[in-house]
Amino acid sequence: MRKLLIILGIIAAVLAIVLSVLPLSNLAYFPAIAALLFGLIAYYISNKNNQPIKTIQLIFLLTIIALSISIYKSIFHTVEIGNTEELQIRELKSEEKAIEDLESLDIDLNEEDLDINEEDLDIETEDLNIDEE
Amino acid sequence: MLKYLFVLSLLVSSLSFGQNSAFSAGEKLIFTASYNMSGVLTELAQVNMETSEVRTSKATLLRLKCTATTYSKWDSFFKIRDLYESYVSPKSVKPYLYKRDINEGGYSKFVQYKYSHSKGTVTSVIKKKKKGGGTYDQNNTLKISNNTKDIVSTIYYLRTLNLSTYSPGKVITLTVLFDNKPTEIAVTYLSKETISTNIGNKACYKLAISIKNSNVLKGTNDNLLWLSADDNKIPVFAKFKVAVGNGELKIKSATGLKN
Repeated sequence: MRKLLIILGIIAAVLAIVLSVLPLSNLAYFPAIAALLFGLIAYYISNKNNQPIKTIQLIFLLTIIALSISIYKSIFHTVEIGNTEELQIRELKSEEKAIEDLESLDIDLNEEDLDINEEDLDIETEDLNIDEE
Repeated sequence: MLKYLFVLSLLVSSLSFGQNSAFSAGEKLIFTASYNMSGVLTELAQVNMETSEVRTSKATLLRLKCTATTYSKWDSFFKIRDLYESYVSPKSVKPYLYKRDINEGGYSKFVQYKYSHSKGTVTSVIKKKKKGGGTYDQNNTLKISNNTKDIVSTIYYLRTLNLSTYSPGKVITLTVLFDNKPTEIAVTYLSKETISTNIGNKACYKLAISIKNSNVLKGTNDNLLWLSADDNKIPVFAKFKVAVGNGELKIKSATGLKN
């Protein structure tokens, strides 16, 4: 039982460390909490049976490192967008090309003004009840 | 007689309100797109929606531009630089030209629709990158109905609807041309709701969106859009549910609003 808990604890702690270093640092809390729980139970069993606690201390150490990285990242790291230079060039080129393309299309904005949606013509009959006095 | 004239003038003025009074050139909306991973929302990308004026020798159109850019921390894993554009009539939001130029984690695709409303057709061009270099081109002419729009102009068109007169449960159907297929989208007006956003507490119109004959969007009433219940009707919050999880789109800032 103790061995199994230690193995699970180490796996969870390593997973927490890996996740905390990746951009997914928010997700590191789940394995970190699991590692702490496994560690605590293993520590309790070891203490009871007078067994060594060296590996359990390692689990705690790794978990604390993972948690500190994740908390640091969530407090001090502000999200910012990456390099958009290439996108901006694409946007400009696209607009220039679009103007060329639009010149060749038949656009009649005056005609479409007469193109009234059915919904707009949905006038309630009570509005038309004119008092004939 | 005067009364009739009065009614007639009222009718004419009510018709003009049916047009776009929600946005004009110079508007910039910035959103944060988040993805829900095991209950933790992770900010993935920034989505910008901008409008600007485009002049041609024949007309002045409105350019609706949407871009999606992943945050720098994701760029080395999955870099997204998407550009969606629609050139529309400033009054009726009728599209004339649509462009989609996407670049997602090495995959790129270019789609262009040229609308010919008099003929009721769309000339479509799709370009995909070939592995060995060069592009794979596909040209088509598609038949469209009078109200067919592209995805960008549809989002903006929703803002021109007179939602204040809608009763909860009212459904409107829009036809959206996506990947050369006309897709029917049902928008249901659910209720009025006040939500807290980055630009303050906003009274909003809550809309549910579903795609007919498609299972891209999951659940019923799980894909929601909140439009501010003022004259600008800006999209302030959106929730979506797809097969691989669910996400959110939250407004970060809104500048250059018309009203």
